[in-house]
Amino acid sequence: MTAADPVLPPRLPVPAVMRANRSMARTAFRSLVTHQVSFLFGLLATAFAALSMLYLWRAVLANGPVHGFDWPHMKAYLLLTFVASSLVSSYVDYRMAGRIREGDVAMDLVRPVGYQRARFVEALGFGVYELGTGLLVVVVAALAFGGVPGPAGGEALVFAASALLVFPLRFAVVYMSGLLVFWTQNYIGVQAGRIAVVTLCSGALVPIVFLPLWAQDVLAYLPFVGMAATPALVYVGHLTGSEAWRAVGVQAFWVVVLWGLGRAMWGAASRKLTVHGG
Amino acid sequence: MASITFFSDDAAVTLIEVAQLRKVFRRPDKRPGLAGSVRHLVERKFVDKVAVDDIDLRIDAGEAVAYVGPNGAGKSTTVKMLTGVLVPTSGTVHVEGRVPHKDRIANARRIGVVFGQRTQLWWDLPVRDSLELLRDMHGLSDAEYGRNLERLDATLGLAELLPSMARKLSLGQRMRADLAAALIHRPPIVFLDEPTIGLDIAVKDKVRAFARELVAEGTTVLLTTHDLGDIEDICKRIVIIDAGRIVYDGGIAAVLAEYARERTMHFALAQAPMSLAPIGARLPGAVVSEGPSASQVDVTFDPSVVSAGQVLVAVQSEVEVVDIRIDEPAIQDVVRRMYAGELRDAPREGPDAPP
Repeated sequence: MTAADPVLPPRLPVPAVMRANRSMARTAFRSLVTHQVSFLFGLLATAFAALSMLYLWRAVLANGPVHGFDWPHMKAYLLLTFVASSLVSSYVDYRMAGRIREGDVAMDLVRPVGYQRARFVEALGFGVYELGTGLLVVVVAALAFGGVPGPAGGEALVFAASALLVFPLRFAVVYMSGLLVFWTQNYIGVQAGRIAVVTLCSGALVPIVFLPLWAQDVLAYLPFVGMAATPALVYVGHLTGSEAWRAVGVQAFWVVVLWGLGRAMWGAASRKLTVHGG
Repeated sequence: MASITFFSDDAAVTLIEVAQLRKVFRRPDKRPGLAGSVRHLVERKFVDKVAVDDIDLRIDAGEAVAYVGPNGAGKSTTVKMLTGVLVPTSGTVHVEGRVPHKDRIANARRIGVVFGQRTQLWWDLPVRDSLELLRDMHGLSDAEYGRNLERLDATLGLAELLPSMARKLSLGQRMRADLAAALIHRPPIVFLDEPTIGLDIAVKDKVRAFARELVAEGTTVLLTTHDLGDIEDICKRIVIIDAGRIVYDGGIAAVLAEYARERTMHFALAQAPMSLAPIGARLPGAVVSEGPSASQVDVTFDPSVVSAGQVLVAVQSEVEVVDIRIDEPAIQDVVRRMYAGELRDAPREGPDAPP
């Protein structure tokens, strides 16, 4: 009996790759479900934050619209950015950074799957759960606060495109911030910094239009607004027509650039990898 | 550069080829305390730690090689460069002609890796789920997977483990499951890095029997360990590494017969003996010496000359024994003796050379 067939195709055929992806995503999803309780507590915390935001904005907008936002549309905007912000939660980078720090990343590297692709597919698996719970919170909140207006007319396609780009964009930013642990060793500070920057710059805390003009101009070309605000602004009708498509273009541009940057960063990081002991 | 070398009809194929391999880790050199950390921000100082220092190694198809050395010798670092986990500082590595860290995924499909202190299993899921995930990552058909699983089940007793959550397994069970995870795709090259670390004797024996079976099937095995007991009847060739350098590469039988035969029995006595001479007189061929305290005696002996029973009887007939402990020969002792010039670096024996 010999060990194995020495002739092996260098790459898996596409259906096998898809099967592997599905399997990885499913495994990630199942493992998150076993941590449900801790995950739901985290969700509860963000839900309360969203709740206080809603009360705050209701008070702010009680005397009429500000910067083009009236209360019903602000509700819709906040709830949509809440769903977007619940995607690619800190579970992805927390897990990644932990495995890098502890050296368990060695086990990720003896598997026949690219590191970035594997993390992305796992994030998708987590994402199914995050999206489900996020939508649940939003629907309950929307009912409690007297419903939200429907989407702005005629922008369904651009909204869908923008919403779909949120996930890869969020993943790329979270993935790269997770890789920083190769340089910093400690991740808690990096993660807190990342969350603060993303929350503020993505418009999840305050719509960008409330910020100083110079900040609005800068942020329009950075990847952050595409992580939450862009689809929400399309939904409430603040971004329309060619302006909306341009914002989607900025999102797509950053997805491609950050995916490539992530790969380059991984290349540099893997040279810094130190795994001591077994 | 052709790195797979074919010899005439003997078909001795070099699967693993390592030349002048070095790995240097760079670590920040911080002074202690907060002041040291702050100072490090301004004045960055690093120290280089050479983990693997200029190693040359060739392993042929079907060979079973023990890669042995004390803790921190550089064994794991070498394995991690062979598996594509770490990027070498300099030198070359080829596994089946591939450079592992550049062609990591293709390499990963051809090798099986067990790191004794880590696990490939998803911690929160049943073992079966982890194996099925690996099935899909390796693109195995259900039929292949079923066959391989059955074969692994026969030697590792997997059936009882499959429904268990990985984090609930005992260390021994986890190792069996991890061996299955590493071998589910029937790789022709297997790296076992400290597979018996922390295991009890019964499980160690099971793991060793499994490794023997792999070798018998023609799998190329590199077994890393600091436990000499692991290698005796698994490998014919031993490579000993110390402080990042290969200090011996040759037949295993010579090393074990000459330098690892001795056992030491440590006796704790009821009271300090007047003299050790009477014990020594009863045991010619053994070395009797005082232990760490006056009421302790150490007897170092060669089991092929004096049996443990004889040593025990001899000591007991002179003094009252309270407790006994036996030390197995340790790799550190072999390395120490090598430096003392007792073991010469022998020319390497081929895999087919008589043991």
